[in-house]
Amino acid sequence: MRRQMLKLAVFCACWCAGSVSLAQEFKFLNREIQVHGFASQAFVKTDENNWLTMDTSDGSAAFTDFGVNLSTHLTDKMFAGAQLYDRNLGQLGQYHPSLDWAVVDYRFRNWFGVRGGKVKTILGLYNATQDQDFLRTFALLPQSMYPTDLRDATIAHVGGDIYGTISLKHNLGDFSYTVYAGHRSDSLYSGYPYLLSQFGTLFSRFGGLQYGGDLRWSTPLKGLLIGASRLDQDTSGKGTSLIPGVFPGIRIPYSEYSKADWTNQFYGEFARGRFLIDAEYRRYYRDQIVFSGAGADLDDVRGWYVSGTYRVSKRIRLGSYYSHYGIANAVGGLLATLGLPNMSDTGLPANHLYDKVVSARIDLNRYWNVKVEGHFMNGYADSTYPDGFYPQVNPRGFKTDTNALVVRTSIYF
Amino acid sequence: MLVVAAAVIGCTLSSALATEIKVIANPNIKADTISANELKGLFLEEKISLADGTHIEPVFKKTGPVHEKFLQEYIGKSADDLRTYYRALVFSGRASMPKELGSDAEVVAYVSKTRGAIGYVSAEAGAEGVKTLAVIGSGRNAPRTLVTRIEPKYPETLQKLNIGGIVRLQVTISPKGNVENVELLGGNPILAEAAIAAVRQWIYAPAPARTTAEISIPFDANR
Repeated sequence: MRRQMLKLAVFCACWCAGSVSLAQEFKFLNREIQVHGFASQAFVKTDENNWLTMDTSDGSAAFTDFGVNLSTHLTDKMFAGAQLYDRNLGQLGQYHPSLDWAVVDYRFRNWFGVRGGKVKTILGLYNATQDQDFLRTFALLPQSMYPTDLRDATIAHVGGDIYGTISLKHNLGDFSYTVYAGHRSDSLYSGYPYLLSQFGTLFSRFGGLQYGGDLRWSTPLKGLLIGASRLDQDTSGKGTSLIPGVFPGIRIPYSEYSKADWTNQFYGEFARGRFLIDAEYRRYYRDQIVFSGAGADLDDVRGWYVSGTYRVSKRIRLGSYYSHYGIANAVGGLLATLGLPNMSDTGLPANHLYDKVVSARIDLNRYWNVKVEGHFMNGYADSTYPDGFYPQVNPRGFKTDTNALVVRTSIYF
Repeated sequence: MLVVAAAVIGCTLSSALATEIKVIANPNIKADTISANELKGLFLEEKISLADGTHIEPVFKKTGPVHEKFLQEYIGKSADDLRTYYRALVFSGRASMPKELGSDAEVVAYVSKTRGAIGYVSAEAGAEGVKTLAVIGSGRNAPRTLVTRIEPKYPETLQKLNIGGIVRLQVTISPKGNVENVELLGGNPILAEAAIAAVRQWIYAPAPARTTAEISIPFDANR
């Protein structure tokens, strides 16, 4: 009931924002405080497999998220703010509100600034803004790059960033850089803990050290941006687990930790007039010791996408993308004993997810849009690291192809 | 209905393209010029200060042909794209929404009283309490190479009377290089007539976009 009231309050606030300007402001202690918020609701229907932990084969509206933020300039160079966020996505999220970000940011110079607190992580083009679908044409970002069920893995870190913009001589454009370090703490209602729950593993915590950087070049060619990101992690998890066949029915302590966990991401964007073209490539390498040292799991994920959008008119945009995801994994120790196979052939449906998408976005006004999107997927990437398809909601096994209709509406102010 | 809509859209677009704008700044800003790259960086919050360290607060207009012209010429984004750009910063905790004001008078008033403020208004707007910044390095004001120069004919009467002086003109140069428009900025009106007649025949090197330039034509009766 309380969650419904909160959602209703955010929707009403957004609706009432109709004719106001970009910034909703009020004064407090002689400072101007800005307030912004958003709310999003989607309906998803698939023809075969259930997707993103929702009961999509029957049609599901269990895809809701919303957030609200406050921010102010404490001085000319100092900015502070915070955002609360909540979501439900099928079996994930489950309406556990969280502090999405809370930062104090001081920009000493154009080329040097620092921000600290809970900070959105800069990784590729859209990691920091992946929750705000109203910023884009697509209802869902390419899941090979920005899996919505795994947002917690990369979305933010509690720590600090150093960042800045450096103008190059001879009109060669600008470099923007970010270097960061901090701690990541996953929600227990996110995709990876949910995946492991099929084995009876229940996490009490999952996260760890996260550090990396991003460098992007606004090139002299008008509209062209290229860049690269690197993310290193030192993750661990603790909880309890069942080990069927070994200690049936008995829950024992469970832990896992990473021997190596890194992501390389390369990207480019070209924006000219009504067109926007994006392309990204990611390699995610994860070598985990699991089951308190008794098992090993190595995942080598490679994904990429190419997308294009076209602004037909002020209110209508069309877009399409092709998303390519492949995972090769190898297991050892207890996992091999339990019969989990090594799966290195990314040509198999269980090792890949190829997604062709077409999308239309209609802006009903400046604060409200609706999207209709079709996904035509091949594969289900059922492996030791998830990508949208989970055995728990597909008890009869997976079909190779899944077509999905996503209708999503968002309001924002 | 479609014809009317097209006419309105066409009028709005041509209105934006025809609108002349100027960039204004609070007098505490020492610089008289700003590069187009710097201007874009400041209005997109990629930068917060000028090269000399002066902190800048960018001030946008909410809407209108002046706003659209500024975005088109210096920012390279439509109004909707600019809104999306700032929303991405706001919702990821990297910035607040910038100041937005309605009329030229409001922009001038705010910029005049706010240290470090830079805004943009129509070229005809009053500029009390603010200074105008020349934007250099954009397609609009990039220096053009003069290929053909025709010297003005000194009016005989004025030369005999030893009347000379400098005529200042603002010329608009087409992408092809011919002079499209000449505006008198200052000088003796009879000398100006001769200067304008000559300048209209000048030919510049081609460029990607229309540009403007301020030129001075000296008339020395002793030569």
